[in-house]
Amino acid sequence: MTITNIRIGIYLCDCDGKVSKKVDLSKVKTAIQSQAEFEYIREADVVCGTAEQEKVAAEIDKYSLNRLLIVGCNDPFITRKFLQLAEEKDISRYNVEFIDLSAVDSVEAAVSAINSTLGKLHLRAEIGYEELAVTPDVLVIGSGSEAAAVAKAISKNQPVVQIDHETTRVVEVDGFPGSFTVRLLENGKTIKQSFGAIVLALGAQPQYDANKYGGVNLDERILSLSQFIKTDKSYTGKKVAFVLGKADADSLLSFAAVLKAALDLKDKGASEVDVIYDDMKVCADNLEQEYELARKKGVNFLKYDGEFQINSTSAGATFQYREPFLPIDATRVAADYLVLAEDFVPAAATQELAEILDIRTGPGGFFQKDNVHFLPIKSNRAYILFVGSCHGPIHGTDLYNEIEAVVAEVSAFAKGKAQVPSLQPRVEAKKCAVCLTCYRCCPHHAIEIVHDAEYDNMYNSAARMNPLACQRCGVCAGECPGKAIQLPLYSDQEILFEIKQPAKIVAYACENSGYLASEFAKTLDPQLQKDLQIVEVPCSGKIDVIYLLKALEYGADGVMLLVCHKENCKYVWGNNRAEQRKERAQALLNQVGLGDRIEFVHVAANQGNQFNAAVKEMAEKIRQSGTNPGKVVK
Amino acid sequence: MIVAEGKPVEKILEMVAPFKKVLIAGCRGCVTVCLTGGEKEVGILASQIRMARSKDGNPIEILEQTEERQCDVEYNAKFLENVEQVDAIVSLACGIGIQYLGEKYPSTPIFPGVNTLMLGANIDVGKWEERCMACGDCVLDKTGGICPITRCSKSLLNGPCGGSQNGVCEVSKDVPCGWQLIYDRLSEIGQLDKMREIIPAKNWLRAKGPRTYVREDLTLDRS
Repeated sequence: MTITNIRIGIYLCDCDGKVSKKVDLSKVKTAIQSQAEFEYIREADVVCGTAEQEKVAAEIDKYSLNRLLIVGCNDPFITRKFLQLAEEKDISRYNVEFIDLSAVDSVEAAVSAINSTLGKLHLRAEIGYEELAVTPDVLVIGSGSEAAAVAKAISKNQPVVQIDHETTRVVEVDGFPGSFTVRLLENGKTIKQSFGAIVLALGAQPQYDANKYGGVNLDERILSLSQFIKTDKSYTGKKVAFVLGKADADSLLSFAAVLKAALDLKDKGASEVDVIYDDMKVCADNLEQEYELARKKGVNFLKYDGEFQINSTSAGATFQYREPFLPIDATRVAADYLVLAEDFVPAAATQELAEILDIRTGPGGFFQKDNVHFLPIKSNRAYILFVGSCHGPIHGTDLYNEIEAVVAEVSAFAKGKAQVPSLQPRVEAKKCAVCLTCYRCCPHHAIEIVHDAEYDNMYNSAARMNPLACQRCGVCAGECPGKAIQLPLYSDQEILFEIKQPAKIVAYACENSGYLASEFAKTLDPQLQKDLQIVEVPCSGKIDVIYLLKALEYGADGVMLLVCHKENCKYVWGNNRAEQRKERAQALLNQVGLGDRIEFVHVAANQGNQFNAAVKEMAEKIRQSGTNPGKVVK
Repeated sequence: MIVAEGKPVEKILEMVAPFKKVLIAGCRGCVTVCLTGGEKEVGILASQIRMARSKDGNPIEILEQTEERQCDVEYNAKFLENVEQVDAIVSLACGIGIQYLGEKYPSTPIFPGVNTLMLGANIDVGKWEERCMACGDCVLDKTGGICPITRCSKSLLNGPCGGSQNGVCEVSKDVPCGWQLIYDRLSEIGQLDKMREIIPAKNWLRAKGPRTYVREDLTLDRS
């Protein structure tokens, strides 16, 4: 990325005399003036004051400044004020940097901090905003009540098409958020239609498993819960018993359905309603209220424990069990009908749609990886969303919350346009070998290979990252064999600039975990970070093998990768890629006898102590292996 | 695509041992696509060698440059400025590129930084499989589009042999029998009768040395 015509303005603010107590700002100014590249520099007493702001505004015009460095503090009030001013002056917020001098107590330290940020400001790519035309229409896939509810909610803001994936099937999905091209098959005919977003609301499928009930088969007296709900038979004067807890042990779906059915039976004159349970689950919405009401209305709640036996005749069915609290061996409930809870399994089309849409499934084969970052509604692809039991049985309030979240998410496209900062990676076509590595490694299906006569390579083609699909993890940049991909704010140039004169230990830290842990760790043991340099990355999947080697080549004794816990990467597999790259880099070091110098640490944002323990371990490792003999002294 | 793998670094260190300044030359063709010799790998190898030599107290200066294709002379001309400054070149191109870059700069020693493995397909990220041996006499029409020279461990033109067991080659349980694959494909496309056809032995004789290919209709007279 070459950036031309960079005009940086530097403001050294005394914070009303606070800074000059420790650091002589005029000396800082002289030092900066003698070595750094910039357009304009001056000192100020309180640069955030109104008069000062007006003065700065005039200076931005006078000197045509397009990047600003505010040195003094990074108080949120001040940063907000300057970002506002920058916006008024058409300077991107990504071109304004703040340095906090409150913890700095020497001219040298201040100058070093300024030079470091100044260097990065010079290397930073221009980041503008793109306004993109998008299709407001949303495709909802599913036929049950969940799909109907979400479709209805979305339709208040924008057009919705709901299909059941049976009479109208999704055959192929191409394109990106804002303009997915969906090929649908209806009555043997193919239709192509554009959708801005896709919502999956397939529901879950009830499935009776005889093994859970000692091999008992369903018959006219023993019904599954879904069979019972479907039939509109009259149970007036009849005795009905429900069995809960053996199947669908994890969700509340069966409990909610049974409570509703029990109340309904009582209202319609059933002679006796029993609910046989092992643990009563009422931890959602109004379930406890309904439970109380059911008791009041005379529904019997009977607790069982362990072994049981089910029998049926043409006249009725019995459930024999051990009552856990009474000193009797066996209790027997006889009923006209015995209704057994079932498990919920993913809808039949789940796997097929996962493949068509390139989205992941998780526990039990339901949609969505078991990863907290995706909760509640997100998939690995932007604007392909889940609602309801298709990503694990849910119920009641949870469902309504999800519907609300989906409505909010897709409403970004309701007006037919979307504005996004151009933060997605940029591809230098000359270096792109269209090898497909980035395309295949992207966790978000955000990359396409585009043909364009303008592209300056032998294929006239290059990879392109879609601004609405891309989530800026930088995995692609870390994989590119041609070094054609650069992620704005985290380009190779910017990162390698940061480690040009590295501390003893360089720690590449994911901004979602390791970086936050390092901030926390600093408060626990500030001394420990004396020889540690934290380099923030958007995801550990951005950490390139070359970053690990270069830190050592430039003089560090050890390198650390501070990454999110397994299965907990915001970008699906960034931390796994990081681990593979660490293995390779360590092998490269072993091959030339440089020893064990790379530490890979899973850490969460709140694990400051673990962070410090890992740093201590790294320091000990270095102490044992000695200083890095491979550092290249220039 | 040509598929190559990185050479063990100790071998490369031996090659460059006598030199103080070396160019590592990458190629943006096949070796970039197979993740072995593009700009990224040039940087990694350079860093690794610098550190290794630094450790041995014998520092080396390494220049890095990657150009379009080392199998084309025009692109190789772009290395001139750097080649003039160095004692030797390590090329990360395939065997063709290494030799051809060497021909362009005959007075500078050139060394291979990779082992060229095969003509293969990229099955998935980090996985390649051989599909062609460039025999120069294609029989894919007779074999259901599956190459017996490549896929049969013995390169049999009329197979399978007795080493084919349940579709697997006796060479390794991970190698499917090429002739079983051919049989299955021919039967799928209704051409099983082609199994009866005897494919005559190929002419492997290379009396004329390395193969050349000239198309008179395309050659350019620059006189």
